[in-house]
Amino acid sequence: MIPGLGALTQDTLWCFSQVKGTVEVGATEADIISTVEFNHTGELLATGDKGGRVVIFQREQESKNQVHRRGEYNVYSTFQSHEPEFDYLKSLEIEEKINKIRWLPQQNAAYFLLSTNDKTVKLWKVSERDKRPEGYNLKDEEGRLRDPATITTLRVPVLRPMDLMVEATPRRVFANAHTYHINSISVNSDYETYMSADDLRINLWNFEITNQSFNIVDIKPANMEELTEVITAAEFHPHHCNTFVYSSSKGTIRLCDMRASALCDRHTKFFEEPEDPSNRSFFSEIISSISDVKFSHSGRYIMTRDYLTVKVWDLNMENRPIETYQVHDYLRSKLCSLYENDCIFDKFECVWNGSDSVIMTGSYNNFFRMFDRNTKRDVTLEASRENSKPRAILKPRKVCVGGKRRKDEISVDSLDFSKKILHTAWHPSENIIAVAATNNLYIFQDKVN
Amino acid sequence: MEFKLEAHRIVSISLGKIYNSRIQRGGIKLHKNLLVSLVLRSARQVYLSDPCPGLYLAGHPGAPAPPQQPEESAAGPPAGWGEPPPPAGRAAWPEPEPQPERPAVPEGPRAGDAEPAATVTAAGDTLQGGEAAAPEAAWRRVEGPRETAVGGAGGPAEVAGVFPERPEAARGPCGCPPGDEDKLSAAPRVDGCRAPRPAAAEPPASPPVCARKRGAAGAGGGPADCPAPGSTPLKKPRRNSEEQPGGAAAAAEEEEEMETGNVANLISIFGSSFSGLLRKSPGGGREEAEGEESGPEAAEPGQICCDKPVLRDINPWSTAIVAF
Repeated sequence: MIPGLGALTQDTLWCFSQVKGTVEVGATEADIISTVEFNHTGELLATGDKGGRVVIFQREQESKNQVHRRGEYNVYSTFQSHEPEFDYLKSLEIEEKINKIRWLPQQNAAYFLLSTNDKTVKLWKVSERDKRPEGYNLKDEEGRLRDPATITTLRVPVLRPMDLMVEATPRRVFANAHTYHINSISVNSDYETYMSADDLRINLWNFEITNQSFNIVDIKPANMEELTEVITAAEFHPHHCNTFVYSSSKGTIRLCDMRASALCDRHTKFFEEPEDPSNRSFFSEIISSISDVKFSHSGRYIMTRDYLTVKVWDLNMENRPIETYQVHDYLRSKLCSLYENDCIFDKFECVWNGSDSVIMTGSYNNFFRMFDRNTKRDVTLEASRENSKPRAILKPRKVCVGGKRRKDEISVDSLDFSKKILHTAWHPSENIIAVAATNNLYIFQDKVN
Repeated sequence: MEFKLEAHRIVSISLGKIYNSRIQRGGIKLHKNLLVSLVLRSARQVYLSDPCPGLYLAGHPGAPAPPQQPEESAAGPPAGWGEPPPPAGRAAWPEPEPQPERPAVPEGPRAGDAEPAATVTAAGDTLQGGEAAAPEAAWRRVEGPRETAVGGAGGPAEVAGVFPERPEAARGPCGCPPGDEDKLSAAPRVDGCRAPRPAAAEPPASPPVCARKRGAAGAGGGPADCPAPGSTPLKKPRRNSEEQPGGAAAAAEEEEEMETGNVANLISIFGSSFSGLLRKSPGGGREEAEGEESGPEAAEPGQICCDKPVLRDINPWSTAIVAF
């Protein structure tokens, strides 16, 4: 495997690597994975779930004995990040579901990540401990205080090796800054600040300061009756610490420059594609709402996901995207049913590969789609237990739209809409992907020749 | 015709979603409710613009009330995909049509439209069950507690208790200064208007809305209950006076104002105060004022298809539908 080679050429075959999570049918709702994120080196993979827990997997070192089996991800740390809360003032229950996890770049031996639920962002430090002090004067081996009268000698505690222990400690809690539900967090490239975005406002934080944040975007109208759009996602530029984008429920993206003014209500750039009048329906507004926005690693492009498509925009061209990919256009005629069963409100995420040549997003029936931007080829794959033999090659899937259904195809009406892949992650430099299917985490790698 | 059926169905579904969103865990999701209200608006526009005079949805307890046609003429061109009623069609609506809907003559025969009354009554029965039940019942549930809670204490604070995310909704009625949520908040937000109340325990009752309506109605308000009989007389003369000058047009406008009053009312109730999205007619400013007064009676619980003459004649289904 050549690091950095992410192109989805004809030679790229995806294989099953691992699956995490239980198989049982009655999995609780708390186990549903709500966010997946690789850290900057790809060594760690973090997941958050609806129960407020964070599970971090670490890639094992590749051994020389098993060249063909690249490092597997094993559980490294598990901790309860957020608990359910009750806001007494507003009589509101605050869900503990982890909405987003974002890693900080590693600066010392410990790992740091931000995790957020609807209202509170927390900075967690994950560190290893493999030594412990022994030989205290005032405490015995179990930690109980010794009777001072029995102490006759003085000694210095020494560090002795112990079994590796990974501990996670909350280092900062950033609370009480959001009236509405937080949907995004993004670490700035200066590694000193980060932003958190809710439906109507975006706040800028310094990692060291928890009792203050700066409000940099506020789209709340003076009269709430005039509300027409909300913020759906926000992200900092990967290199320019003054630039960020945020997407809206109206299908628009605004790029803001914090040097222009303290309150970035007026955008620097405004990305919007004119609506196609022939596709107008009751649900046009819903399906144009952007559910995710991601900068490319190069910082030159942004990718947005709405209900039926993924679009790639060039930062230098505001009037339309440079590429549009249909994720599951066969659902366009089913929008009413999807509205009824609430599926139309599902928020799919999208990701770039390390070289920005391939983009990936999820769909229903545990399908996920990859689009190669260079070859214009796309593939649909499925995350399922049936394809879960080690190193089994994933077979491309196809949805049959109408007419005759071929043997391996699945018809639109047979799709299982309860099996949705909303969250995926791509290793920063290798062809390793993590796909969250309800309460299971699938890890796929490309075939090593 | 299919547009109307579809729109009808979508409106029921949307109302159900808005209602359910209030009791779900984690509080009201602003984004989802905004999208649902957009769909509601679109469906309403199509519903009102679909020219099906005197056509009753088979098997449905509701039927489009013909007076909505004239309303649409006041509302302006409907949304793109609904077929705009041809001007000739609009003019074809018999002028006296809207009048029987006025409180005066609930059961009176309506020109070209003899069935609505019967349908309405039938609707009242069928509303107990069937697919009509959910949104309609939702409406009634909405209104029910409002009536009972009117006598309760805490005026404007109630609204805020139900809509924790938008205490501004309470600002209007009680005139309190806006909550301090905009400030950097190390301290929990404090809004002078608010009195904490469990959101789940209280369905979207809005005694403050009643209070506001009563206030607007002025002397007509009187007794504590929202279904203030006092307000009715106040309303009647106004309507009559409105009718005088115009034929269908003025009455239609009145009609629309009342319905938009329902809109404003329900919006306040649900806390989804997106009437900016809904206010598409030219009579926007006046609507609100009219809405204030017509709100309480229009939204009375259990009386949707009973005593209130105005509503009785306007098929409850369409009332629910046009409300949004």
